[in-house]
Amino acid sequence: MTRRILTGNQAVALGSLSAGVKVVTGYPGTPSTGCLTHLLAMDLPERHVEWSTNEKVAFEIAAGAAWAGHRAMCTTKMSGVNVAYDALISIAYSGTNGGLVIYVADDPGVSAGMAEQDSRGFARMSHLPMLEPATPAETYDLVRTAFELSEAVGSPVFLRLTTAVSLSHAVVEVDEPIPPREIEPILEKDVARYTKAGAAICQQQHRDLLERLERAGAWVYERKLNQLELAGEPGGLGIVASGAVRAYLPEVFQEFSTDAVSVLRAVTTIPFPWEETKRLLEHCGTVLVLEELEPYVERAVHVAAQRLGFDGPIVGKLDGTLSPIGEYGEAAVRRGLEVAMSSANAAGAEPSETVQQFDKLAAPRPITVCAGCPHRGTYLAIEAAIEKAGYAKDDVMVTGDIGCTILGMNPPFDLLWNEVSMGSSVGLAQGYVHAGLKTPVIATIGDSTFFHGGIPGLINAIQHRVPLTLVVMDNGWTAMTGMQVNPGTDEAFQERGRRIDLERAIRGLGVERLFVVDPYDLTETTNTLAECLKHSADVSVVLARRECAIQAARRGVRHGTTTVDPETCVLCKQCLRVTGCPALSLGESSIRIDSSLCNGCGLCVSFCPTVAIVNSPGTPRELTEEEPAAAGSSDTSKEKVE
Amino acid sequence: MTCDIVLVGVGGQGVLTIGELLLHAAFDAGAPASLTPTKGMAQRGGFVKVELRLGREGVGPRIGERSADLVVGTERSEALKGIRYAKPDGTFVLFDHVWAPTGVMLGSDAYPTLAQVTEAIRAAAGRLIVLEPADLPAVDGRTVRPNVYVLGAILGISSLRESLGPETVERVLANRWPAASKANVAAFRAGLRSVP
Repeated sequence: MTRRILTGNQAVALGSLSAGVKVVTGYPGTPSTGCLTHLLAMDLPERHVEWSTNEKVAFEIAAGAAWAGHRAMCTTKMSGVNVAYDALISIAYSGTNGGLVIYVADDPGVSAGMAEQDSRGFARMSHLPMLEPATPAETYDLVRTAFELSEAVGSPVFLRLTTAVSLSHAVVEVDEPIPPREIEPILEKDVARYTKAGAAICQQQHRDLLERLERAGAWVYERKLNQLELAGEPGGLGIVASGAVRAYLPEVFQEFSTDAVSVLRAVTTIPFPWEETKRLLEHCGTVLVLEELEPYVERAVHVAAQRLGFDGPIVGKLDGTLSPIGEYGEAAVRRGLEVAMSSANAAGAEPSETVQQFDKLAAPRPITVCAGCPHRGTYLAIEAAIEKAGYAKDDVMVTGDIGCTILGMNPPFDLLWNEVSMGSSVGLAQGYVHAGLKTPVIATIGDSTFFHGGIPGLINAIQHRVPLTLVVMDNGWTAMTGMQVNPGTDEAFQERGRRIDLERAIRGLGVERLFVVDPYDLTETTNTLAECLKHSADVSVVLARRECAIQAARRGVRHGTTTVDPETCVLCKQCLRVTGCPALSLGESSIRIDSSLCNGCGLCVSFCPTVAIVNSPGTPRELTEEEPAAAGSSDTSKEKVE
Repeated sequence: MTCDIVLVGVGGQGVLTIGELLLHAAFDAGAPASLTPTKGMAQRGGFVKVELRLGREGVGPRIGERSADLVVGTERSEALKGIRYAKPDGTFVLFDHVWAPTGVMLGSDAYPTLAQVTEAIRAAAGRLIVLEPADLPAVDGRTVRPNVYVLGAILGISSLRESLGPETVERVLANRWPAASKANVAAFRAGLRSVP
């Protein structure tokens, strides 16, 4: 055992190694990304670890390996469970041979965007057990438990973390990794188990599925994963605390006289700890349920109460005490305890003291694309093309998608109208066309997102000859989540992978109007886009290609040297207003360019009315290995959440 | 000894690095610690928050409102977002760096004055220490790293000076950037001395 500082994500990674995992797959998504990133940074010759095209593919790969008898894991943020679910429900029906774990990170508080989706709903819907650790140390232990449970009952098992657990660093006792088991892969031909051919087969699988969850409940009960501590005289307060919120009980308990409070610390919502809940209800007169997001535990407590004839107060969300919105910390625990203890004492609770908020005094700080980002050129060109084609910006629908490309919704661009899910920009745009818009419709998407979920939408648009312009912003990386390799990434950075050239792929689908442009070339990109907007008979695709500025900068790539002549600059701020580039700031008497951030993309040059900004386009080059990169230390580079 | 610290600032200022250095110092000192960065989608130039909980085993990672022993703001405007965490008898360290967002530079958004920020902090926290970027020392003609200076000031808060020990932190610093040791030690000690 060694003590190490690990994030929850890293604890999942190392926990899986100590469980002898053979195959780990995933798709990047905050807050789950750090797990697979950690594994990919290690030398693991006996295992297969990969970023897959999307979460459904990732889960299917893991399931195949587990059906063949190995331990396998799939990692995803909550949105990815939606993508994988079609496969997941079928695989849940069939069960598994080797341990199969789905690590999902939920995001109460939405620190990483999208939705406050409570993935326990998916576990309930698919009747799959789900373990919910509260700290990185508990996470490490529960990964192994998840694999053991998976094999003990023959079921895939969810491991659910929430943002704070995934991203927090804490000291964890770590064991040595163990190698994957040395077995011949299982080849089991059993259509009754592995196909869905007919009602009889499916219903038998459904029966088996329910029976596996039943056995999982017994297994969890025997292992005492859900810990019940009964305290005090009968009739007192009992707390059911589920998931991450469990970790806040001790500090809040210090403020209350809690010697007589009974606690059920629930690691599983599915299977539900019926027996422990029953004993808690038999002992207590009031129950407080603490769980983030949906009241799944609380509803089950009501069911248990009804069965037992328990008629005391049940404090939680359903009575309005606590909110289904946001992350829970000690404040939620305190609020719950105040209300529950006052109902236990039959007195009214005072609401907690509110804190004066000064946040609104702070200057707005909307995030934008990095200095030198090629997307900046694409956004500016789309805006210019709309005007050039004779339309007003507010009359042209530009659909947005997931990833860095969505930053076009923020100032100074204010260009994108919506953000739905990976690939949705392409389908949404077609709907707007069919609705009869008189103005052109543009869809925007990044490269990884296009591979993930955009291709079916494009195929549909091609087949149905939908007149729209799809702009694929290809920067060669899955950038927003911290620079992961995707199918289009240059082969030099693919470990063993092959690069799929988007130009060939899109042309291969049958797109006749395909244009490849360099987003640093505003004139060409604008003209190309404007032509596309005038064309109203078929789908046009503009592939705007230029490597992510951050990744290029890490290798020392500079496209030129951009400077301001302080004599000529009149501080009209036009460059700043139009580009919003983070390398530009106000000096005393002229605009200043931060040379550590500027990569010489030159986009600001054309917007300077006094020609004070000059770009000497030195030969684009990459530093040799001996030369240190000028920028890109861990503090200044784009390192989003893991 | 337990100490809950909230650090707020702008991505690129090295706020997370301050947290990591303290975390490793705590680890080396054998003290339990939890560190949670919140960057959201913040790349360089976005709001960053770090929650650091020292001295408690198996603790929940988030620090509640009005319960941080120490709040550190490394940028004037973003410091406002740390005030809600300050304990009434806690300490607030403000490094008064001004990093104007584009909207402020263009004149379309307001930026708070130092007086507005210190007044708000004083209403919430027991003790306020303001550090001026102009006081950053130079080593060999180059201004030292502001985040290491702020780290020194954090260690200057009496309870941390005793529980973690400046020597532990200096060792962690030296391990992290062996080549910049001289400048970092100077920055760290200047920060340490800046706290009365």
